[in-house]
Amino acid sequence: MDASRKANFSAVSNPNNGIKTHSPLANIKPGSAKKIVIKNLREKPKLPDNYQQETWGKLKGAVEAIHQSHAIQSSLEELYQAVQNMCSHQMASELYDELKVVCERYVSSNIQQFLTESIDSEQFLKQMDHCWQSHCRQMIMIRSIFLFLDRTYVLHNSNISSLWDMGLELFRLHIISNTVVQGRTVDGILVLIERERNGEAIDKQLLKSLLRMLSDLQIYEEAFEHRFLEATDQLYAGEGQRLMQASTVPNYLHHIDRRLSEESERLLHYLDQSTRRPLIACVEKQLIEQHLKALLQKGLDLLLDQDRISDITLMHQLFSRIRDGQKELCLSFASYIKKTGRLFMINHEHDHEKDRDMVQQILDFKERVDNVIEVCFQKNEKFVNAMKESFEHFINQRQNKPAELIAKYVDSKLRAGNKEATEEELERLLDKVMVLFRFIHGKDVFEAFYKKDLAKRLLVGKSASVDAEKSMLSKLKQECGGHFTSKLEGMFKDMELSKDIMLAFKQHMTHVEAPGISELTVNILTMGYWPTYTPMEVNLPEAMVKYQAIFKKFYLGKHSGRKLQWQPTLGHCVLKAHFAAGKKELQVSLLQTLCLLMFNDGDEFSFEEIKEFTKIGSHSEIVQRNAEIGELRRTLQSLACGKARVLLKSPKGKDVDDGDRFRCHDDFKHKLFRIKINQIQMKETQEENTNTTERVFQDRQYQVDAAIVRIMKMRKTLTHNTLIAELFNQLKFPVKPADLKKRIESLIDRDYMERDKEQANQYHYVA
Amino acid sequence: MSNCRYTAVATWRWVANDDNCGICRMPFDGCCPDCKVPGDDCPLVWGRCSHCFHIHCIVKWLNSQQVHQLCPMCRQEWKFKE
Ligand SMILES: [Zn+2]
Ligand SMILES: [Zn+2]
Ligand SMILES: [Zn+2]
Repeated sequence: MDASRKANFSAVSNPNNGIKTHSPLANIKPGSAKKIVIKNLREKPKLPDNYQQETWGKLKGAVEAIHQSHAIQSSLEELYQAVQNMCSHQMASELYDELKVVCERYVSSNIQQFLTESIDSEQFLKQMDHCWQSHCRQMIMIRSIFLFLDRTYVLHNSNISSLWDMGLELFRLHIISNTVVQGRTVDGILVLIERERNGEAIDKQLLKSLLRMLSDLQIYEEAFEHRFLEATDQLYAGEGQRLMQASTVPNYLHHIDRRLSEESERLLHYLDQSTRRPLIACVEKQLIEQHLKALLQKGLDLLLDQDRISDITLMHQLFSRIRDGQKELCLSFASYIKKTGRLFMINHEHDHEKDRDMVQQILDFKERVDNVIEVCFQKNEKFVNAMKESFEHFINQRQNKPAELIAKYVDSKLRAGNKEATEEELERLLDKVMVLFRFIHGKDVFEAFYKKDLAKRLLVGKSASVDAEKSMLSKLKQECGGHFTSKLEGMFKDMELSKDIMLAFKQHMTHVEAPGISELTVNILTMGYWPTYTPMEVNLPEAMVKYQAIFKKFYLGKHSGRKLQWQPTLGHCVLKAHFAAGKKELQVSLLQTLCLLMFNDGDEFSFEEIKEFTKIGSHSEIVQRNAEIGELRRTLQSLACGKARVLLKSPKGKDVDDGDRFRCHDDFKHKLFRIKINQIQMKETQEENTNTTERVFQDRQYQVDAAIVRIMKMRKTLTHNTLIAELFNQLKFPVKPADLKKRIESLIDRDYMERDKEQANQYHYVA
Repeated sequence: MSNCRYTAVATWRWVANDDNCGICRMPFDGCCPDCKVPGDDCPLVWGRCSHCFHIHCIVKWLNSQQVHQLCPMCRQEWKFKE
């Protein structure tokens, strides 16, 4: 046992080490190591012949009285003086030896009481404690009488034990070294601890005193600690295995926590501090480390699913105590995120409802996970990074669609009429969406859909807040750079320019006679900024055609070298309508307008007649036939089958079929004066969706081609694999090697590059 | 029913006799290689010979010509069309 450890521990401080202890006995401990210089200049008086014998007799009587707990006959001052005198007359050595003999005789006589088998374990321990306490008390008294001896003779002879140590040696030699006695003592202590671990209340004071005794006698480690740790190990090994089977993970975690704090209490109340490290390590090993993987496997997903914050916090705390515990927890946490996230993503049935909720679900999930990281994992960076990686992983498990859905989600929040209460809330929401956006590979898909929806917000639907639009734009710019947003910014610029042009046009119109309609507003779009629209040639009423022509002449007069193309699918009108129940103002799309205006000249028309007259659906370019007719069907459906039915359809039904007939709904009633029926324009059609996606893919193809040519031009000759590797480096969207190979073939066909004549996997640039 | 207010949408593009700029080979619907966005910021110009280019492209080209300022397409003397 090493000295420093012992010093902290002993019940009564070793008189030679001078370190204070918290023992109550310490206050009267036998002296410190201070050297006292005795001035002894006086002439020594002559001693009587029997002086030594007589003086020792007096001292011996006092020692025996102390041992027997009798009153001492002489005064302490007298005894103290006697010791000093004997020492002064060179009798110290003999005095020491005589004292030791008396003490030894007494200590060794005490063994008998411990050899009777009839006393029970607890009685035995109490007796041992009593014996030890008496020994200490007696030794302190003896030492105070023989203080002079201790401070002179003992101090000057390093091979002689101090009186206190001599006492300990005697106790160790005659009492505790007895195998039977030591065995019963330690067994008794272990039984008491075991009973306490089983929930019984025990005499902690007794344990504390006995363990201090073992410490003072320097046999704590060899006689007690080894056996104690062994018993602990066995107990918790069994308990861990049993409870892992029988208990739920949260209960088990709380059990570990309780056990750990119990053992800490034990350390506080009676165990030596030196036992702390091995004891706690033992509990951690048997209760946590051994079952780490099983706990994670059995419990983590459930805890996270049920958002059991305090249990997860506890798990993190407990796991952090052991090596790799946090790492394993982090790994399981990451795989939970991937597993759970994947469920939001996969949608084999192409269920639109499910896709529609995807982004909100991911956002909610993200919030839940963030909260766990913040509260349970204390924002530990490892967990934050694992979360980011896992989100990026699962979101990109499905290609393209998530980017599209995130764009649409933003659209739904930025549209006028969205219920998001305040600007601040909207701002916060956009920030959250940006986090998801950051995870997405292939941001071009997002851009395409975002642009398509932004165009509609600007042209048809009105956006909820210009500030929010601009804020979103600057977030995108910050994230992806100016090249990503320059066209989107161009769209806003076009809207501003259009306003200016319209001011000038109004001025112009004061000198020109306006045809039929009271007002024309035009939004003029720069082709390159906006989504590509397929122009549709429809049959407009003469007044509108004339008005458009006036504007066109005005515009081209100001901007030469340009060509204007009207986009009827994006136009909208305000119509004044007279119904039997009163006047209404209808906000309708241009296509709806064309259908409705027909009813000024007739009561009833068939689907075919309307199609023939309005020409709706006759695209100037070749478009799928279904898509063409779809346009008119949707338009009529919105007028005759929607919420505000200004037309009546026969036969009734929610779909528009060939041969259906339409009449104006003269008895149309609505609580509002202004009625909006053109929401249909905001809806995305299947064709729009397909076209948007296809255009992204086409654009990617151009980018791949351009990248291949760029690389080949610089490197002149490359092997297939090196070229592919460089392409992966440069391209910012997900591509498959097979697709790249196709593009390479195509470029070879178009003579941008050629295959090496001998090595088929090598290419040369063709200038 | 009568139409009182009509909000129309029109797209504009350059009227050019070719799809691509004869100097930079980029489509006229896009911009020259030095620009980021098409439209007013990277306009087209026409020569008297009726060839047209991105303004940035033809200016660069003309600056690189030491003696005569020729149209890079038809080699006639370059004069901006009014
Ligand atoms: Zn050019
Ligand atoms: Zn330019
Ligand atoms: Zn020319």
